[in-house]
Amino acid sequence: MRPILLQGHERSLTQIKYNREGDLLFSVSKDHVVNAWFSHNGERLGTYEGHIGAVWTVDVNSSSTLLISGSADNTAKLWDVSNGKCLKSWEFNTAVRCVQFSEDDKLVLLVTEPRMGFPATLQIFNVENVSSEPVHNFNPEGPKITVAAWGALNRYIVAGRENGSVALIDPKTGECVSTNKVHELTLTDLQMSSDRTYFVTASKDKSAKILETESLEVLKTYTTDTPLNSAAIMPKHQEFVVVGGGQEAMDVTTTSSRQGKFECRFWHKILEEEVGRVRGHFGPINTIAIHPDGRSFASGGEDGYVRVHHFDDDFFTFKFQI
Amino acid sequence: MPVSATNWADEVDGEDQPQTFTDANGITTIIEYRTNEDGKKVKVTRRTQKKLIHDVVNKAVAARKKWPKFGKEKGNRPGPDPATTNVGDNIKLKLSSTGDVVQDVDEKHEAMKAQLQNKKILCRICKGDHFTTKCPYKDSLGMEDAAAPAAAAEEAAPEEQQSGSKYIAPHMRAGAPAKGSDRDSMREKRDEQPTLRVTNLSEDVTEADVSELFKRFGHISRVFLARDRETNACKGFAFVSFTMREDAQRALEAIDGRGYDNLILRVEWARSSA
Repeated sequence: MRPILLQGHERSLTQIKYNREGDLLFSVSKDHVVNAWFSHNGERLGTYEGHIGAVWTVDVNSSSTLLISGSADNTAKLWDVSNGKCLKSWEFNTAVRCVQFSEDDKLVLLVTEPRMGFPATLQIFNVENVSSEPVHNFNPEGPKITVAAWGALNRYIVAGRENGSVALIDPKTGECVSTNKVHELTLTDLQMSSDRTYFVTASKDKSAKILETESLEVLKTYTTDTPLNSAAIMPKHQEFVVVGGGQEAMDVTTTSSRQGKFECRFWHKILEEEVGRVRGHFGPINTIAIHPDGRSFASGGEDGYVRVHHFDDDFFTFKFQI
Repeated sequence: MPVSATNWADEVDGEDQPQTFTDANGITTIIEYRTNEDGKKVKVTRRTQKKLIHDVVNKAVAARKKWPKFGKEKGNRPGPDPATTNVGDNIKLKLSSTGDVVQDVDEKHEAMKAQLQNKKILCRICKGDHFTTKCPYKDSLGMEDAAAPAAAAEEAAPEEQQSGSKYIAPHMRAGAPAKGSDRDSMREKRDEQPTLRVTNLSEDVTEADVSELFKRFGHISRVFLARDRETNACKGFAFVSFTMREDAQRALEAIDGRGYDNLILRVEWARSSA
């Protein structure tokens, strides 16, 4: 397959997200830029301008009308997807690390990080009647929350922490309903399955795990040889999980860095075996997103490139031989 | 005599005009001529095949395709902009059940290592455990060996000159500078100079780009850009020699970690090849 290289960022990518139909791909980076691309040919639709700090996170609602981005300039901004206009800008005391629309697009969860005396917060905003005040503002205790996602039917919020544990938080009260320490080091990514009944976590301890949402039970584990920065579940066609990461090898000067040896690894989700790798990035892979129809995927790296790959036909006919 | 509209001096000298033709399969070939930066004439052939793909999509998706571009893309034409979007090289995603997923790029490297493991490496100059060219005593011990046959040749030469039989090349005549001294001073001068090694350059960086980037810190005595022998693309690293050490130091601090053409540059002091 011939990957499409998207060169819209000058600094490392922090997150990429597809919209529900998969025709748009949003990418955000430390260079303050939020880009929107058409995923089938890599054509850039436009940019959302306004952030003055590194943009850590982005999410789009299911009708692709609203976009939310969280940044290190202590703001989260709500944008009109079609024309780039900023509809609302929420200010906080510290940087916003994670944002996500709920399944019904009515609520948005937002995680800010603890810094300089300000505690971490987990806030929920209503985006139907966009107001400046959150519906809920919780100060979760314990180690810093690095990633968070809505569970099925908004019953829980799943949060991954810096110490490697995963917690279930009740969105109405903010209390931590249950916790499970699944990783040794910080969680770097948490992506839900399409029905949100299970999710995959990626961690710097070189492993990725699948956990069931309601019970936080570990269902599968994938152990690699490199710290992982991102993991995603293939929604269709193949039972795969795609993970990526990479440690910045500081003295790579000759062959490897030019050839782009940082790889996205494909693992069989059920059998926990690695089935393939896609190389090409010149730096660690920071974020992976899979197209909702399972026919393509994209990866964003430390090198500032987003690579969109459309799978060849032989990808869909592959059968794992036991 | 009628005045001709075109001056004979302005006509193109023999080379063809740019051509475009389409063959039966629908492949359009465009041939252009350009001069590249070395002043050489380059013939550029582009073969393109246009395929119209019909895709049935969701109404909302079709509507989104028609949105006018905004932000940095405002006012741009429909279609991907080559400044932001390029197609990369073909990669094969080999899916395998056996678990031998790690690609063997280092095959050659491994083969080399295996070969060397059997043999003992011996330096001809100092009999150490390294290659002769990598010998640390190349300059001192190496020169002695070179001087001995040179002296013998020189002795033979003056005798012949007196007898006046054969032509003797200038470097072998009596009174010629000792072998390697001039080269040494030139080489020494170059080695003394503060040299930085810049790595993680992109493929289409040129010497001009590198000197542009670094000359604001001070006078550059030379730039060496490593090029691939066959493709002439940049191999990713370059050496920049400054005249003044302080300039090199400031350049190192400023450029190390800086982005250039979508790659993050690394700058270090160059290790001399001893």
